[in-house]
Amino acid sequence: MTQLLLFNAINGLIIGAFYVLMALGLSLILNLSGVINFAHGGFLVLGGYLAYALTPYVGFWGALLIAPLLTAGVGFVVERLMVRRVYGRDPLYGLLLTFGLAFILEDGTRSIWGAQGLPVSIPAVLARPLSSDFFFITGYRLFMVGTVAAAVFLLFALLRYTRVGIRIRAGTLDLDTVSALGINVRGLRSLNFAAGIFLAGLSGVLAGGQLGLEPTMGTGLLMPGFVAIIVGGVGSLPGTLLGGLLIGLASGVTAVFFPSASEAVIYILMAVVLMVRPHGLLGEEGLLT
Amino acid sequence: MSAAIEADNLHSFYGKSHILHGVGLRVAEGGITALLGRNGAGKTTTLRALIGLTPPRQGRVMVFGVDTTHWPSFRIAALGVGYVPEGRHVFPNLTVEENLKVPLERPGPWTLPRIYQLFPALADRRRNRGRQLSGGEQEMLAIARALLLNPRVLLLDEPSQGLAPLVVREVFRIVVEMRREGISVLLVEQNVRMSLEIADYAYVLDDGSVVHAGSARELAADPARIAALAGATAEQWTDP
Repeated sequence: MTQLLLFNAINGLIIGAFYVLMALGLSLILNLSGVINFAHGGFLVLGGYLAYALTPYVGFWGALLIAPLLTAGVGFVVERLMVRRVYGRDPLYGLLLTFGLAFILEDGTRSIWGAQGLPVSIPAVLARPLSSDFFFITGYRLFMVGTVAAAVFLLFALLRYTRVGIRIRAGTLDLDTVSALGINVRGLRSLNFAAGIFLAGLSGVLAGGQLGLEPTMGTGLLMPGFVAIIVGGVGSLPGTLLGGLLIGLASGVTAVFFPSASEAVIYILMAVVLMVRPHGLLGEEGLLT
Repeated sequence: MSAAIEADNLHSFYGKSHILHGVGLRVAEGGITALLGRNGAGKTTTLRALIGLTPPRQGRVMVFGVDTTHWPSFRIAALGVGYVPEGRHVFPNLTVEENLKVPLERPGPWTLPRIYQLFPALADRRRNRGRQLSGGEQEMLAIARALLLNPRVLLLDEPSQGLAPLVVREVFRIVVEMRREGISVLLVEQNVRMSLEIADYAYVLDDGSVVHAGSARELAADPARIAALAGATAEQWTDP
């Protein structure tokens, strides 16, 4: 029993790490641009498939870095050509645009790589379980959690210690004033969007190694990403981090007792959090206006 | 004397309400120009038109001889226009030092150490967040932040608003200091008396139009005229 609980709790935390990566990207974009990016799952898929296509040339490790960068590049162009046009408009425009983009990305992958799932080979060093007692902790799972942790750490360090990061945080609250201080806020938003998409691409590469690739794989991770943001508190990146881990853990632990409720539980958790703290765990009233 | 900023026939709207009716003004280089007027006269809207945050629907803005009328605000600021908004708009979630790292790094004499020298209170509170500062400290921070852009002209929107009289004196002292540094200043104020004491030139705005333009000293010498023009109320004349 204890081992089963541990198994599912760790599973939950690993899934939570995915939610965190997705949710942080969504959160970055939402906070600075006010766009709810429904295409985020599509970019995740693109990242996974790009890694698949690149692996024969640059290997797993090369693809791990290059695929998210390429995905971010696509995101950058998409922001410049399309997403930017809906800034400051009714949120419905952004929802419709990114919803359409999600379909384009998903069907685009399908028409290039086919609708069948594709297996992804991971380096042998990562495929082994650590020990027979903890057979469920494979090297790959640890590696995923480690990569997510490194990405999160890097993101928070960039936001905290670089001028660009400081400007992004300032712009989250008051973009007009950032602009009036001479900062090219259009470029700042493009860069920030690309950073969010980089995280989506990275999620795609990591998810592919664990679950294999499917054109629809992004959809299942998108909604939990939103839930993580809401649980943690809209506008707060540490909150998003906490929210993602929490709903992953809740989902994992629930799988032990009520397997059929393991997906529903994250929405129940969200409802409870919203009743107790309407602005989420770390959200602040009026932070995002 | 050449102009740092020249605005001609500005018409601005918020939705359907017509706020500015053909405002024209000139900020002389190296001087302090005061823009006075009662609440709702259009002072803030004029300033927002100059920095590009509320672009005018009609009219023209020239900054150092360049037509910036339809430019986004960050391009106008990059020409060397520092902006201290009404209500300070300090970033509440950022520390004092982070607030000071937001502005574009134009080359010039203003650096972080020099700012801390001019505003020792900010140096003491560099690790505090913007929201933890007093109103006076926030005003200092907003001015310091604009200075780090190394501006050639500074737009100040009601810097004395809500501040204790002693702090107001300090703010005005700094504004005078800026002129000595060679920075042109456009000062929007409700504190008519103190503004006219330090300004070289003054405009009075009422109902979205310029109703008076002239030397600050002459206007200061004519209280009856100010009362008529700006609708100055008694408390604005109390000694700060």
